[in-house]
Amino acid sequence: MTLNLCVLTPNRIVWDSEVKEIILSTNSGQIGVLPNHASIATAVDIGILRIRLNNQWLTMALMGSFARIGNNEITILVNDAEKGSDIDPQEAQQALEIAEANLRKAEGKRQTIEENLALRRARTRVEAINAIL
Amino acid sequence: MAMAALRREGRRFAPMISPRPITALRSSPLAPSLEDECPIGVRYISTQVVRNRMKSVKNIQKITKAMKMVAASKLRAIQTKAENSRGLWQPFTALLGDLPSANVKKNVVVTISSDKGLCGGINSTSVKISKGFHKLNSGPEKETKYVILGEKAKAQLVRDSKKDIELIITELQKNPLNYTQVSVLADEILKNVEYDALRIVFNKFHSVVSFVPTVSTVLSPEIVEREAESGGKLGDLDSYEVEGGETKGEILQNLAEFQFSCVMFNAVLENACSEQGARMSAMDSSSRNAGDMLDRLTLTYNRTRQASITTELIEIISGASALEG
Repeated sequence: MTLNLCVLTPNRIVWDSEVKEIILSTNSGQIGVLPNHASIATAVDIGILRIRLNNQWLTMALMGSFARIGNNEITILVNDAEKGSDIDPQEAQQALEIAEANLRKAEGKRQTIEENLALRRARTRVEAINAIL
Repeated sequence: MAMAALRREGRRFAPMISPRPITALRSSPLAPSLEDECPIGVRYISTQVVRNRMKSVKNIQKITKAMKMVAASKLRAIQTKAENSRGLWQPFTALLGDLPSANVKKNVVVTISSDKGLCGGINSTSVKISKGFHKLNSGPEKETKYVILGEKAKAQLVRDSKKDIELIITELQKNPLNYTQVSVLADEILKNVEYDALRIVFNKFHSVVSFVPTVSTVLSPEIVEREAESGGKLGDLDSYEVEGGETKGEILQNLAEFQFSCVMFNAVLENACSEQGARMSAMDSSSRNAGDMLDRLTLTYNRTRQASITTELIEIISGASALEG
């Protein structure tokens, strides 16, 4: 029994095939999904999605939104998603540093929140690369 | 022999020559009047006029052909984006269902149209559907408000439904059409308008020649709860355990907002595709019409030219024969 996983962003379909297991990070923690999981509709946080195909783990950086799990079909709708293998380590590290610098400089509540989000996104991308290695 | 024939022709033409004021002719539409007068062959219409008209029709034909090609290339660019975004709202429909028949008190109709004209009838059909919806849903308890995207719908709806318009957004195409822009737009709409159900009216792009006006419905969370209790498609929603936040209500609210922005994104892209496709076919038919008009004008031109040559010949010959005889 395998799960059918669909990861969709507004611009394209990032992933659409069968997997054995996934680990998803939601607002209330990480959940692991195996075949025949109970039906769930959940919000997805900015974090890493781990996919297991035949004892090999793949990572993907997700930038938040929704997931629906039911009848061995998982649909994840995210604002943006990048496969770990597609991210350039240098560039991700740089983005992380820039985001951290911006956060320190941020003034006012709105900017702080925005920079916080940018920092989390950058951190997720770096983690996605590191997790494969 | 030839002279006799020409003299006969001269006699045939002579009684029919009637002086006609040139000004009156110029003011009336050129093509039908020329076709009436030409068999008589009077030299009162100059070839210059016909030639000017031919030049302007040819220019118009060139312009419409160019516009068609521009529209075709823009269509290619947007079409892939629209098809990719189609997969986005399907899970929502699978989960929450698309209920056009939901009976709600506050309807908000979001009409999506184009900013520029010359794109066939797509804007009029969208406006017609929006107005029909308004009429259907205006009663003692129910009310309908408009949110308008695009200049063309604004021009048509401002005339008679001015008091029902909540928000007008124009010049969408100036910003690049990606999800971030549209989500900002969706955010604006959700903040300023209170609604029970949002109906998005747009033209769905089926193919280059077919654009179907469609209505997508997005329900607010309270209505979703209400419909879920009454069973049907939404009844399955309760069987889903909802996680990832404080309360189920909060998640459903987020879900509804996300659904709205996804559906808007798809609707805006599809409408843009339909606009380009409609413009392509409109410009194509107008180039063809211009070509037809050019053919007719060429025939008229040749006839006029031959008529003037004939009358000159007649004058010369009759003058010459008058001198002889």
